[in-house]
Amino acid sequence: MSQTHPEMHERRILHTELMWSFGVGIFVAASLSMILFTAFTISVNPPSNVERLDPKTLHLSGEFAEHNLGTTVGSDGSVTVRAIATQFMFLPRCIVVPANRRVTLRFASPDVIHGLLITGTNVNTMVVPGFVSQVHTEFTRAGDLLMPCHEYCGLGHSEMWATVQVMAQDEFKPGSDGRISCAQR
Amino acid sequence: MQSDTSSAADSPFDAADDIDETALADVMRSVPLGAAVLAGTAVALLVLGYLAVYLLVFIPRGTVG
Repeated sequence: MSQTHPEMHERRILHTELMWSFGVGIFVAASLSMILFTAFTISVNPPSNVERLDPKTLHLSGEFAEHNLGTTVGSDGSVTVRAIATQFMFLPRCIVVPANRRVTLRFASPDVIHGLLITGTNVNTMVVPGFVSQVHTEFTRAGDLLMPCHEYCGLGHSEMWATVQVMAQDEFKPGSDGRISCAQR
Repeated sequence: MQSDTSSAADSPFDAADDIDETALADVMRSVPLGAAVLAGTAVALLVLGYLAVYLLVFIPRGTVG
């Protein structure tokens, strides 16, 4: 048996591995290009907001005091939702938002790390004590959506969820103070 | 315990001695291609699944940030 056979096999295997590496390189480059393309063209980015607040006093005054929680429509028409994630509930337990309109969601936690997602949307964030979690989104369909806590926060974690009531534009009518709460059905 | 009548194939080391080098060369000629096809098919299915979720679910749901 000639000694060239093992070397030939090794060359062939090396060739296959190089081809595989080339294919993987193409895939990685294509994935990164797609991520960059969608980031620059349609602003697909992870939510990023670094904003501190004191978790020990957030319920006493300021933005996350009880009377500020819920949905507020500003004088410029901007819709902002403020909610607290706490063991083991969201306050308020029902959030109302308009459909097909940009909404700013702001969350804070006074106790432990929570997380939330809104079903059928890309809203998905952690709520870390000491920071404000902020997500901008636009809800495209009217209806009730589930918003559960998705970060284990204690024994009552599985009971911690809220409802997001997405209203059609013509049903979304805030009061003179710009506040609106969930419709009773 | 090994019996006196054991065949060479009982031990992988003994069995290796029985393999014809020419047959081994024939097999080795197609092994890299087979491995590439198998791994390529598996990875292609994974990539297709990722692309389907990304393009048909994630992007239509709109942006957050």
